[in-house]
Amino acid sequence: MLKSRFFAVLAAIVLVLPGFSGASPAVKLNTTADHGKFKELQRQFNSGPEVTKACLGCHTEAAMQVHRTKHWTWEVINPVNQQRLGKKNVINNYCTSTASNLGACATCHVGYGWVNSSFDFSSQENVDCLVCHDSTGTYKKMPGGGQPPIKDTENPPGSGKFVKAIDLTKVAQKVGKTSRDTCGACHFFGGGGDGVKHGDMDSSLAAPDKEVDVHMDATGLDFSCATCHKAPAHEVVGSRYAATGKDTGDAHMRGQQSKSNPATCQSCHGQSPHKAGSHAAKLNHHSDKVACQTCHIPEFARGGVPTKMHWDWSTAGKLSPEGKPILKKDDKGHIVYDSRKGDFVVAENVKPEYAWFNGEVTYTLLGDTVDKANGVTLINALGGNASDGRSLIWPMKVMRGSQPYDPENKTLVKPHLAGNDDTAYWKNFNWEKAIETGMKAANAPFSGKVDFVKTEMYWPITHMVAPKEKALDCESCHAKGGRLDQVKGIYIPGRDGNPLVNTLGWLAAGGVLCGVSLHGLIRFLRRKQ
Amino acid sequence: MEKSHIFATVITTGLLCVSTLASAYDADWKRGRVYYRSVCTACHAAQAGGSIAPSTMSKSQWGTYLQADKHAKGKDSMKQYVSKAYRASIKSQNKAAEKFADVPEDELFEDIKAFVIKGAKDGDSPASCS
Amino acid sequence: MERIYIFSRFERFWHWMQALLVIGMLVTGFEIHGSYRLLGFTLAHQVHTVAAWALIILWVFAIFWHFTTGEWRQYIPTMQGVDKIIRHYAWGIFQGEPHPFKITRARKHNPMQAQTYLAIKVLLNPLIWISGLLYLYYNELAALGYGLDLGTIALAHTIGAFLMLAFLISHLYLITTGDTVTEQLRAMITGWEHGDEKNTK
Repeated sequence: MLKSRFFAVLAAIVLVLPGFSGASPAVKLNTTADHGKFKELQRQFNSGPEVTKACLGCHTEAAMQVHRTKHWTWEVINPVNQQRLGKKNVINNYCTSTASNLGACATCHVGYGWVNSSFDFSSQENVDCLVCHDSTGTYKKMPGGGQPPIKDTENPPGSGKFVKAIDLTKVAQKVGKTSRDTCGACHFFGGGGDGVKHGDMDSSLAAPDKEVDVHMDATGLDFSCATCHKAPAHEVVGSRYAATGKDTGDAHMRGQQSKSNPATCQSCHGQSPHKAGSHAAKLNHHSDKVACQTCHIPEFARGGVPTKMHWDWSTAGKLSPEGKPILKKDDKGHIVYDSRKGDFVVAENVKPEYAWFNGEVTYTLLGDTVDKANGVTLINALGGNASDGRSLIWPMKVMRGSQPYDPENKTLVKPHLAGNDDTAYWKNFNWEKAIETGMKAANAPFSGKVDFVKTEMYWPITHMVAPKEKALDCESCHAKGGRLDQVKGIYIPGRDGNPLVNTLGWLAAGGVLCGVSLHGLIRFLRRKQ
Repeated sequence: MEKSHIFATVITTGLLCVSTLASAYDADWKRGRVYYRSVCTACHAAQAGGSIAPSTMSKSQWGTYLQADKHAKGKDSMKQYVSKAYRASIKSQNKAAEKFADVPEDELFEDIKAFVIKGAKDGDSPASCS
Repeated sequence: MERIYIFSRFERFWHWMQALLVIGMLVTGFEIHGSYRLLGFTLAHQVHTVAAWALIILWVFAIFWHFTTGEWRQYIPTMQGVDKIIRHYAWGIFQGEPHPFKITRARKHNPMQAQTYLAIKVLLNPLIWISGLLYLYYNELAALGYGLDLGTIALAHTIGAFLMLAFLISHLYLITTGDTVTEQLRAMITGWEHGDEKNTK
């Protein structure tokens, strides 16, 4: 009895204790709204659109804001040359194009159900709020409609691999601001895999250290993507389609209305970022010709994830004697040949190439003339040169490759790659069929002939800013054979010189030396006599 | 008498559970990720012969392991390496320890647990070491 | 032969500082130009810039000195006796003939020497200075709308550097053509033309 009384007392203490010890009740300090407390979200959700409808109950304008963005339309008109760009239209030299492949590609669309041209772009409930606002890191979408799996689903069908069901209620109750994880879920994996496309963006940026990126350093500044790519009304700024080649403005100020791109280095650092050190002024002077990124991103793909540098589609389709697709890996385990895709070259810690860039980009689109006889086709020709006053020297990832085109109609093509049908290249390994289907989906003519053309695509590098101690030193460029060896139209001390003046100069100095030596020799000999 | 004893024990245990649940802390897997990589992995890679990816164990294995709280085969405890004292001792060389110097120990432990459970072999997104 | 005190203390200081700075700037300058690698571009550039400012300051004092002391008159060009001097260097010197020019306090450089120094002071130095300052402040000028092609500025600066190098080589040789090989060097160190040893000989 004594014992039980003891326990009763103990129980009472335990019961009362939290009230005293936790003096302040648990309160979230990073938000004013705990979505877990919203009745609208305390229910079971059977699909993505159901969640969206719940979101729209309060966030009335959100979907319509998203409708205006390229994240939704996958279409953007280049303000400079009126080209119709966006994922819906462009052709690259990775997996080439969306068109008939939407089922696979649209997994990264901020919507639900875009598989073909019948998708309703005016539907509000088809906007996917969670893909950007998930904070649990568990949200995923399935190919072929881009729906989150609400029960364990086999993917690809028949593979025996299962994608786990997603607890939509939990995801919905824990929505938050966008993060490197949410943006990265698509942008780190562009081109079909981790780090494939950009070179300066891969999964190492989810929680990088300072060596990989000084701004996103998870134990330091911990920038999210939106810290720079501010998104007023869901319109994320700082796109490559209409890039800022040279920002001549000052650092933005709180409250000040500024129309310039807030994602540039200058929008925070201004025009004279170098403050300390004996040659700060000289370094600041470089900002009229050299992009910040050129010195401050000495290499890309630095986080341990390789990026694709070369993709040769023309070797795709080789099969094993048993007729099975082949997969070859290098000694680090990176795929270097895939029957579905051809030969790859991947690389880490890549030194960029350098080129003048004024922000203007001209794509080679479907229907633009492409001819093998003209050499390499530029997927996106960059504007800029030394003298237009709007260009800076930028670091570039140059993606090179060889991809199918129509030699008769002289145009790039949009092959049908992904799909569980009898024309998809990745299943049937027949280019003619695959391109016919793909071009039909794109409403474009196809001659039936297939050839391969060499292509190059330029990716201005801007992420993975290294700590300042790791920035390039003077000699990296001020030397013969240095980083900027191939950049034309500019005089670089240490690299350049007038060959005639140099020759004449050394001849003159050498001539004087010979002359005085001879004079001295005669004097010496005569003195002896 | 014996019965009431058991009853009391059950009540007490129940209340203990309730009290922990009542003040349930909403674990931050991202903070756990940073601490795990910057402190656990960094030290393991440098001194303990290699890093341990969350995906090397299943959720239940991680659960059991963390519950047992035996680090280095029982030589010391996990909690020790999450403690404020430990963080203070390494914070001059470790930015994660410095950044999270004042995070309550229980919370940080829960954060790490959330990260490894999420990244476990059978977790929501298995995390290997890249 | 009487001793003449021809190089005052300031003049000697000016000369030797200038020698040090010019040689330093030639060494670093040609490195910046990409002719060879010695200090590394960063350090070469730093040394070159600091030396440039030091030389400019030195020159401001030197110009002031020239005008306040009237020493500028040393450089008034004359053709008087030039033929004899040319003949001396081309022929007489090999015969062991004495130098035809007699140094006085009022005229301490022979006419050819004086004209060379004058050319350096009024032609070569301004070329190097102006092109050098344009090189250094090229961005500020561009910002003010006086954009000049850096290649052209560099070209002028490089031509100046080669001329200075040629002068330096000939200068180093010609100072050995005094009555003895080291006589002129000694004068620039002690200030006295015709040293004690010579007198006692």
